[in-house]
Amino acid sequence: MKNIITVKKLEKRYGNKTTVNGISFEVKRGEVFGILGPNGAGKTTTLEMIEALRPIDGGEVKLDGIDVKASPDEVKKIIGIQLQSTAFFDKLTLREQLQLFDGLYDESTDPDTLLEYVQLTDKAKSYVEQLSGGQKQRFSIAAALVNKPKVLFLDEPTTGLDPQARRNLWDLIENIKKQGITVVLTTHYMDEAELLCDRIAIMDNGEIIIIDTPKNLIKELIKRGFKKPQHVEQANLEDVFIDLTGKGLRE
Amino acid sequence: MKRYFTATWALTRAYLIRFFRDKTAMFFTFLFPLLFLFVFGSLYSNNNGDVSFKVAVLNESSSAFAKEFDGQLRDSETFDVNTEITQFDDARERMGRGEIDSIIELPEGFGIANPAQQPAGSVNVYYSEASPQSGQTIAAVMQGVLDGINKELGQPEPPLTVTQKSTATTNLTTFDYVFAGLIGFSILSLGIFGLANQMPAEKKTGSFRRLRASPIRKSQLIFANMIYYLLVGLISVALMYVVAMLVFNFDMRGNWFDLAVYIVLGIITMFGFGLAIGGWARNENQSAALTNIVAFPLMFLSGVFFPRFLMPEWLQGITGFLPLTPIIDGLRMIMTEAKTLLDLGPELALIGVWLVVIYAIAIKIFRWE
Repeated sequence: MKNIITVKKLEKRYGNKTTVNGISFEVKRGEVFGILGPNGAGKTTTLEMIEALRPIDGGEVKLDGIDVKASPDEVKKIIGIQLQSTAFFDKLTLREQLQLFDGLYDESTDPDTLLEYVQLTDKAKSYVEQLSGGQKQRFSIAAALVNKPKVLFLDEPTTGLDPQARRNLWDLIENIKKQGITVVLTTHYMDEAELLCDRIAIMDNGEIIIIDTPKNLIKELIKRGFKKPQHVEQANLEDVFIDLTGKGLRE
Repeated sequence: MKRYFTATWALTRAYLIRFFRDKTAMFFTFLFPLLFLFVFGSLYSNNNGDVSFKVAVLNESSSAFAKEFDGQLRDSETFDVNTEITQFDDARERMGRGEIDSIIELPEGFGIANPAQQPAGSVNVYYSEASPQSGQTIAAVMQGVLDGINKELGQPEPPLTVTQKSTATTNLTTFDYVFAGLIGFSILSLGIFGLANQMPAEKKTGSFRRLRASPIRKSQLIFANMIYYLLVGLISVALMYVVAMLVFNFDMRGNWFDLAVYIVLGIITMFGFGLAIGGWARNENQSAALTNIVAFPLMFLSGVFFPRFLMPEWLQGITGFLPLTPIIDGLRMIMTEAKTLLDLGPELALIGVWLVVIYAIAIKIFRWE
């Protein structure tokens, strides 16, 4: 099976408002798939329906051959989810949180190995509420990896992070992809999508406008005669910032 | 199956760890009920009787003299006669609860003329074992009254006498009575206030959402919370018993095992109410309003702070069906009347009905967010 996720005519309605309007797409095994779009385009709703967190109003989603609508619990066992507004229990150390998730999945993944993987070994005894933004996101990914998922869902993983923390998270996502885990992510940052995603879907008003590789999408646009006002830049402000402050993580 | 319990226990464990790190929660769960206990306990532990004796008068005799004598007792200022009581069993039960000090019985044949054509017989004064003094006092007062009549009759052998009898029911101190209500209050506030606050808060912070991303079921979440509340509740109640025994000389007359079973049932029932509110409410505003609507009537009508027998008859009838009433009544009967679970059939049946009803509702209206 080449495609790990197939979405057919997926729909979500609230009253007479249609948030997701009969979209169809596939995600290939092992790729990083990005869903892009302005706020309110229906990205998060789409993700949550695939993740079995929100009822599907119409259409069908199959994940690794499992029908999401029919067996939501089976799907949850093989996916990892990092939610946009991630909240973990307070007053519980990172190690204890991971032990909790071990129990919920009846897994025996070593918490310390996972914490080392996301560079949080020295925070094993801290509470989530004591972490910085980037650390929180990394921990959230660690928690999503407890059940050794086949697909990892990341909803705006780098929003609100400083440039160093973003770069660090990109490295982590690349690393996860290398392990053969399929990654589906949403983002508002085009540079991030271009760098990380093998293919992207652009959504607006509950519909998918286009799906292709970032390179092809750019090529197509230029073919249509698009021209950006040219002024050759050897560097931009972010390059200056990284040059001055370094790539080292601050947290 | 194993996976089901592994996940449930993992969640229970997480809740327990968090609880024992939360000083505010610990204060309200463990120390707050004890504070209540000290306040109410000190209010009620001095059990000073009134000057007049509260008695029940049971006239079993059909003689005219007995009728006259009965009437005089009821008019007398020394005796405060409870006119509601007509049955001996009822009288004895109320004496056990401390509602009356003594039972005065005019036995069959009392006041019927003896061979000398004068009214004769013996008045029975029943007292409870726990307060023989009040029994003796009443018997002495009664003897004084009868001596006066005897003197008038001018007989060498006094025809009217008093016999003292113990009913073998030990009576309650006011503290014993209040204590069952305080335990009930503690169980109520833990189950309803605790959970109804906690669940909407967790919906708001999103930790429920995060849990839901894993294959955890609604029933596992409920069981995990139930075990957590049960353990915390048992510790809290145990502390109350320790203080009651050490400080207020609480006298446990029933079986501890029966009591423990009963308390577990009580906590689970009240947990159901908290679950229905907290599971349904989307935020704390909704749950706070509902909590008050549910908890306050229970608090004031189920015999937590004042005994239900003080209420008018019709209200007693209605409040008898409230969920907290059989819990408090049962606790009181086990602790003070040494009743066993087998004696508490009606109370257990009522609790059972409430359990089924409230859990059916709670599970139906539960919302993850």
